[in-house]
Amino acid sequence: MSQSREPGLDRIVALVLRVGAFGSFFIMLAGLLVGLFVQGHLATRLERAGVLLMLGTPVVRVVVAGILFLREKDWKYGAISFGVLTILLLSALFGIGEH
Amino acid sequence: MLSAFLVLLGFFAGMLGALTGIGGGVLLTPILALHFGIPIRQAIGTSLVAVITTSAASSSIHLQRHTTDIRLGMTLELATSLGAAVTAYLVAYFNRNLLEGLFAGFLLYSSLTILLRRGKVKDHDEGPPTNNRETEIPAYEPQRYPLGLAASLVAGGLSGLLGIGGGPIKVPVMFIFMNVPLIVATATSNFMIGVTAAASAIVYYRRGDILIEIAAPLAVGVFLGSLLGARLAPRIHTKYVMYLLVAVMLYLAGHLFFHLFTGAGAV
Repeated sequence: MSQSREPGLDRIVALVLRVGAFGSFFIMLAGLLVGLFVQGHLATRLERAGVLLMLGTPVVRVVVAGILFLREKDWKYGAISFGVLTILLLSALFGIGEH
Repeated sequence: MLSAFLVLLGFFAGMLGALTGIGGGVLLTPILALHFGIPIRQAIGTSLVAVITTSAASSSIHLQRHTTDIRLGMTLELATSLGAAVTAYLVAYFNRNLLEGLFAGFLLYSSLTILLRRGKVKDHDEGPPTNNRETEIPAYEPQRYPLGLAASLVAGGLSGLLGIGGGPIKVPVMFIFMNVPLIVATATSNFMIGVTAAASAIVYYRRGDILIEIAAPLAVGVFLGSLLGARLAPRIHTKYVMYLLVAVMLYLAGHLFFHLFTGAGAV
C-alpha cells in the first residue's frame, strides 16, 4: 500500500510547505522594501533570514512527515524519513568547503 | 535598479515554470551566468533557492488535490538527496567550462524532449488550483524500486550539479518503469524537488555560493509568478508556452556554447 490516500497527511504536509513558502516570501519582501528606504544591515539580515527559512522548509517537511508516520506506527516510512533527514544533516555538516 | 529587475526576471521564470512544469532553475542559472556576469557555480547555488520556492508553492497545491504519493516520494528522496549532496560537494572541484558545457547539454536535452512530445504538457489534469475536486487515480502499486532509486540518484546528482529539479528524468522513470500514473508521477516529482534542492543548497550556502542579495529578489518574483502561473494554466494554450520555453532554452544553450568557445559574450 504505497498509494497515498490519507487526506490528513497530505493536508498537514501541504500546510508546512505553505507556511514556509509564504513566511519566507514575506520576510524577503520586507527585506527588499526596507532596503529601498534604509541603509544598513537590517535589509540584508531580513533577506538572509528569508532565504534560510526557504532552505529549512523542506527539512521541516521531512521531520513532520516522519513524526506523522511514526504516530501511525508506520515504522518503515518513519525510518525512511529519518534516513532522508540524516542525509540532509550530513550535507550541512560536510558542506563547509573552501570559500 | 537591480533588485526590481531581478524580481521581474523571477516572476517570468516562475510563471513559465508553473505553466509548463519545467522548473525555473533551468532558465535562471544560465541567465544569471550570462547576463549578470555571476560565476556559474554561484548562479547555480542562487537559483537553487528559486527552485525550492517553486517546489514548495506548487506541491502544496498538488497535495491538496491528493495527487502526491508522499511515501513513494520520501523513498526516492533517499537517493535524490544523497546524489544531490554528493555532487553539490564535488562541484567545488569542477571547472567552470565543464559546468557550462554540461548545462548547455542539459538545455538541449530538455528542448529535445519537449519537441518530441510536440509541446504537449505532461500533466493532463490542469484544473485550477481553487478547484478542490478529488482527481480519480487508478489503483497502482509502484514497481521496480531498485531502478527507480538508481534513476533518482542520477536525477539528484544532476540537480546538485546544475541547480535544476530533474523532473525530465524522474517523471518518465516513475511513469514508464515504476507503473505510477502520470499525474501522480508529475506531482510526486515536484514534491521531491524541494528536499533534493535543499540537500544541495545547504552545501552551496555553507560554501558561500548563494548570493543572498540576488537570491532574495529572485525568489520573491518566482513565488508570485508561480502562483499566478498556476491560476493561468487552465486558461492558456500551454502548447505555445512550451514552444516559447524551447526558444528561450535553445537561445541560452547557444549563448552558453558561444561563451564556452570564444570565452566572451558574457554580460
